[in-house]
Amino acid sequence: MELVIALFIGLLYASGVYLLLRRSIVKLILGVFVISNATNLIIFLSGGITRSGVSFIGDEAEKASLETMTDPLPQALILTAIVIGLGIAAYILALKYKYFETTGTHDLDQLSKTDQK
Amino acid sequence: MIFAFLFRHFHGREYVAIGAAALNLLISVILLIQVSTDGMVKMQMGDWPAPFGITLIADRFSALMVFVSAIVFITTMAYSIQSVDSRRKSFGFYLFSFGILMGVNGSFLAGDIFNLYVWFEVMLMASFILMSHGGERNQLEGAIKYLILNLISSFFFVAGIGLLYGKIGTLNMADIAQKLMSYETMPPELNPAFILIFVGFAIKGALVPFFFWLPASYHTPPPVVTALFAGLLTKVGIYSLIRFYTLFLHQNSEFWQPLILWIAGLSMVIGVITATSQFEFRKILSFHIISQVGYVVMGLGLFTVAGLAGAIFFLAHNMISKTNAFLVAGYVHRQKGTLNLKVLGDFYKEHPLWAIFFFISAFSLAGLPPLSGFIGKYLLIKAGIEAKQLGIAFIALFVGFFTLFSMVKIWMEVFWKKTPEKPPVPIIKTTLFDDKPVNINWMTWSSGAMAIVIVLAGVFATPIVEYCTLAAESLMQPSEYINFVLNHTQEL
Repeated sequence: MELVIALFIGLLYASGVYLLLRRSIVKLILGVFVISNATNLIIFLSGGITRSGVSFIGDEAEKASLETMTDPLPQALILTAIVIGLGIAAYILALKYKYFETTGTHDLDQLSKTDQK
Repeated sequence: MIFAFLFRHFHGREYVAIGAAALNLLISVILLIQVSTDGMVKMQMGDWPAPFGITLIADRFSALMVFVSAIVFITTMAYSIQSVDSRRKSFGFYLFSFGILMGVNGSFLAGDIFNLYVWFEVMLMASFILMSHGGERNQLEGAIKYLILNLISSFFFVAGIGLLYGKIGTLNMADIAQKLMSYETMPPELNPAFILIFVGFAIKGALVPFFFWLPASYHTPPPVVTALFAGLLTKVGIYSLIRFYTLFLHQNSEFWQPLILWIAGLSMVIGVITATSQFEFRKILSFHIISQVGYVVMGLGLFTVAGLAGAIFFLAHNMISKTNAFLVAGYVHRQKGTLNLKVLGDFYKEHPLWAIFFFISAFSLAGLPPLSGFIGKYLLIKAGIEAKQLGIAFIALFVGFFTLFSMVKIWMEVFWKKTPEKPPVPIIKTTLFDDKPVNINWMTWSSGAMAIVIVLAGVFATPIVEYCTLAAESLMQPSEYINFVLNHTQEL
């Protein structure tokens, strides 16, 4: 299972980088989202995944040993990262909308007005 | 106690903002005094003991950084009263400025790597919004470049945190350092995590292979925003790098030390040489940020007490001088409506006081004797020679001359030259401000206060250098930090 998720993360990163290198700003933004989710999965995987292991020791405390328990901390970290990612997604889309409204273009190559000629 | 920093995200106008900034300055002074007597102050959030809960810790280095950023913040806020237009003010300019302050202070005080990441994001979100705030076309372009590259750096950083946690099993900086010390050699499977974290910090701190976002975006927002960013944001990346290097990376120094010295040398040289080819006031200053960040990293790369003390002093000096140089740029922009060096001129004749402010901050950046920059460069170069790294010391000297050259160029073009009768390039006037008359000349007072601080820091440098040396000594002895954090007694 870890191998599958690891390969999947690799695939996500590859497609994210591919999207980042496109000329369209929308695809650039999509690439950022994909990479952000790949990063969340890395944290998830690095905490170690245990099939059907519980995160918290509940009433059956004696049954949950360290071997079968999943580390809850990475999941808490991902939760934080997802929330931050959501805020950034909302902001970046609003920025894109405003940019399109002002300039009427999706093209990254048009972004050179402020550079020195 | 430290957490008075946190309850300041209210929506306030000018005087509330100044009052809150003054309060922040006051608290940082208290923190500084407390730290200089006790050595370190810590706070465990929610009373959870150290390796499990979130630790906030201030040692001498971070207390100094908090203090200097409080100075930078209060002057930029005072300056913004006059320089920012009322439309921006009413759409939360102060709110997001305080957001940046909160993120910056949090990053300086964080004792936990994930907490550091969250503070970075707080700071970044606020800075994204300030960067695009006002919605002019130039700003939006700058904001897109700034935003994408900084987000990628955050992903690097957080992926590094994830991998590090997977291997080490803790997020507390002191606990990680302790676990690393228990190994004979650095386990090789940790290197990917550290490389990722290093790249994240290097993008944030605008070190050489990763600096492109900075000069592409810093000249687009209103000048006071650039001044605030230049004073605080890249410095946080460098602060974190110093913290990580002294706690973790030095245990593998035969790999990291040459790498960091090379990056420092390249940052200094490339930053300063690209700056000489620019003809925009703020772009020149932006490229100089890269070169001066190189100086700080050079002090870190030497990894001696003298080198680190020089780096800390230089970092503090640079925050103040650089901000003031940008504040002067803001005034020039306000008077002339443009910052293109080819069009400007005669500023010394028209505004001699501002010429003096620029002279002080620019030549402090270049490192002329009575000013604070000289002391910083002197300490760094002396430390370089003592550490037998003659190459990097020579580069630092050589870059100093080039810095002087760019500063003299700005001086000649903006302040001395006669205004060309026929502008060689068309003037594009932008309206970033409104001309509402104010009773007090806030811009002059705030920039003047910064200039006075620069002169004082240069003339009375001895106690500051002593403080920096103490701070560097405690950075070189990470076991002190580790024991202090992991010692489970309640302090506050």
